[in-house]
Amino acid sequence: MTILLLSLYVAAGVAYGMHFARRDAGAGRLASATLAAAALMHTFVIGMRTVEVGHLPFVGAPAAISAFVWLLAVAYLYTEATTDERAMGVFIVPLLVILQTVSTLSDRVIEPPPVLDSPWFAVHVSSLLFAYAAFALACVVGITYVLLFRELKSKQLGFFAARLPSLQVLDTMNGRAVGVGWLFLTAGLAVGGVWLFQLQPETADPRVAAMTLLDPKISVVLLSWTVYSFELYARRVIGWSGRRAAWLSAIGFSIVLLNLVPVGYFLTESHNF
Amino acid sequence: MELLLLGVSHHTAPVDLRERVDFSRRGVTTALGELSVRPTLAEAVVLTTCNRAELYVTCEDPVATVRDLAVFMSRFHDVPDTELAPHLYTHTGPDVVRHLFRVASGLDSLVVGEPQIFGQVKDAYATASEERTTGALLNKLFTSAFGVGKRVRADTGLGEGAVSVSYAAITLARKIFGSLEQRDVLVVGAGEMAELTATHLRSQAVRSITVTSRTRTRAEALAQKVDGRAVTWSELPAQLLTADIIVTATGAQTPVINRTQVDEAMRARRNRPLFIIDIGLPRDVDPAASDLEQVFLYNIDDLRTLVDENLARRRDQMSQAESMVSDEVESFQTWLLARGSIPTLVALRRHFEDLRQSELNRLGPKLNGLSPEARSRVDEITRLLVQKLLISPTERLKNAGDEQTAAQYSEVVTQLFGLAEPLAGETTSTDEHASPPPKTKTPVTS
Repeated sequence: MTILLLSLYVAAGVAYGMHFARRDAGAGRLASATLAAAALMHTFVIGMRTVEVGHLPFVGAPAAISAFVWLLAVAYLYTEATTDERAMGVFIVPLLVILQTVSTLSDRVIEPPPVLDSPWFAVHVSSLLFAYAAFALACVVGITYVLLFRELKSKQLGFFAARLPSLQVLDTMNGRAVGVGWLFLTAGLAVGGVWLFQLQPETADPRVAAMTLLDPKISVVLLSWTVYSFELYARRVIGWSGRRAAWLSAIGFSIVLLNLVPVGYFLTESHNF
Repeated sequence: MELLLLGVSHHTAPVDLRERVDFSRRGVTTALGELSVRPTLAEAVVLTTCNRAELYVTCEDPVATVRDLAVFMSRFHDVPDTELAPHLYTHTGPDVVRHLFRVASGLDSLVVGEPQIFGQVKDAYATASEERTTGALLNKLFTSAFGVGKRVRADTGLGEGAVSVSYAAITLARKIFGSLEQRDVLVVGAGEMAELTATHLRSQAVRSITVTSRTRTRAEALAQKVDGRAVTWSELPAQLLTADIIVTATGAQTPVINRTQVDEAMRARRNRPLFIIDIGLPRDVDPAASDLEQVFLYNIDDLRTLVDENLARRRDQMSQAESMVSDEVESFQTWLLARGSIPTLVALRRHFEDLRQSELNRLGPKLNGLSPEARSRVDEITRLLVQKLLISPTERLKNAGDEQTAAQYSEVVTQLFGLAEPLAGETTSTDEHASPPPKTKTPVTS
């Protein structure tokens, strides 16, 4: 099942590539349909897993990454449907494929420790994952902004100018995605903080004790929060839109990815469930 | 019935002559009216644009009709025959088909791939159709041409990319801002180029157009033309703060906008993107302004380079488009040939059907003993037999390779089956049984 799901994502990636290279509308529709099928199947897989283990399958890095992939696929499909723009798919879907591969390879069923048995858990994890999905979109939009910006500045219109929407549209999309992501990131962090405050006096779990600002998972996420807060501030106050905002969202998302995979797998002592 | 085309275009005639033979001056309807009363013509369509004036007709005698049409054209436009004749071209048969297909797909246009011609061909046909000067042949020819035009546009890059400087500027503006509806335009200078670009921008429904020029009256005149507002020259620096798109086209010998001015403006506008189209010669905006973040400065040479690239790309697509046109011409010819053999096919079918009916009539008394069901079965069997017998001759006649073969086939079939003569068994069978001829039968002349 998971292999079939992964191959659907791969097929969608190939179709988006063909659509982008040849500007073939048929390939584009095929790509969207394949990705929609993958997202649907992913929903089903996550649903099955929920029934199987009796709680939302967010425990442990592999499950969290898989949930992130699903959220990003849905968020991207929503963006595509509302903006009628398929050009971004060729950048998003490969990211989905890589993350889903990582998740599939390391997949295992984890019994949640008693410490996670709390209504805060689902809120904390899902708002953070949603924030990450929004940041991923912002990053991709930002990269395409920079590519188009370069062509327009160098007066060599070509590959990207023929395929991408206008700079203004990309900039607005980037701003909105970062705004939405920042709200969810802030909410997710606040919930985590409050929950930790409740837990710490009464729990003996060593992971709870490790939840300090010095833990990599926590310090890195705070770093990403700082970067995104700065982007929003710079946009509103200094007038840093366009290329600078695009770079900031790319930097922000690389920090998020760093947190999601290497830190989540190897470094953290507080979040290794 | 032959297809025939007579016309002048930018390939054969200079612009002053083209202007004089423009049918829209006296009206295409008038022209169609005069054409329709000419005895030599069966159908007619008049295509007239600023680059061509063409008559598409069908006739029995192309040679005589060409002379007739040339006379018509010179009298209609009051241009002496001797002056017009050297610029006229004519095509007949498949060449007319090829020519119209190329015209409709933009291959014959002055700017290859330009989209207007497609609509102009459609209009020409619609007018002729309203005036009832088209028939089966031109109907099919023009509807096929629309199909070809659409296919070429959809499947090749022939119509892509801006190929005029002012349109290239619009394309760039749309790549930067998306929709231009909420954008403010500043026009610096009030010359011809400024006016052209401003008019294009106006058609994009920009929010406002502000015009400034060293000569106040000229600025006001242009502002009126493009539904904008004129401001004094001294307001230029202040205008830099609000405009999104600036078009400069002054005759000034030194730049009228320098880098420092743009830099200050960008700070004040907090880096909102600014698109500057400098079409002045010499340049009106210091090229160094291009270094500033969020300033997109294009001068006339940059725009020309873009246009040239697009034109080169269109030329690359031409061979693909030409081969598509060739395929379509071929399939139109097949249709035409099949259509040519239709009278023969109809006669052949009728001949076989008559034979069948007369045999059934002859055998009538013997079939009387059969049940109605069995009789209808006999009728069906004979009908199917005739159909099967005719399948391959029908196919061969329809798909004869060329006109000559098709004519030969038709002739042979007519001779072999005696299609030109009355049916031999006809008289005997009616005489014998004195029954009225079946309704499907044609009146026999003997």
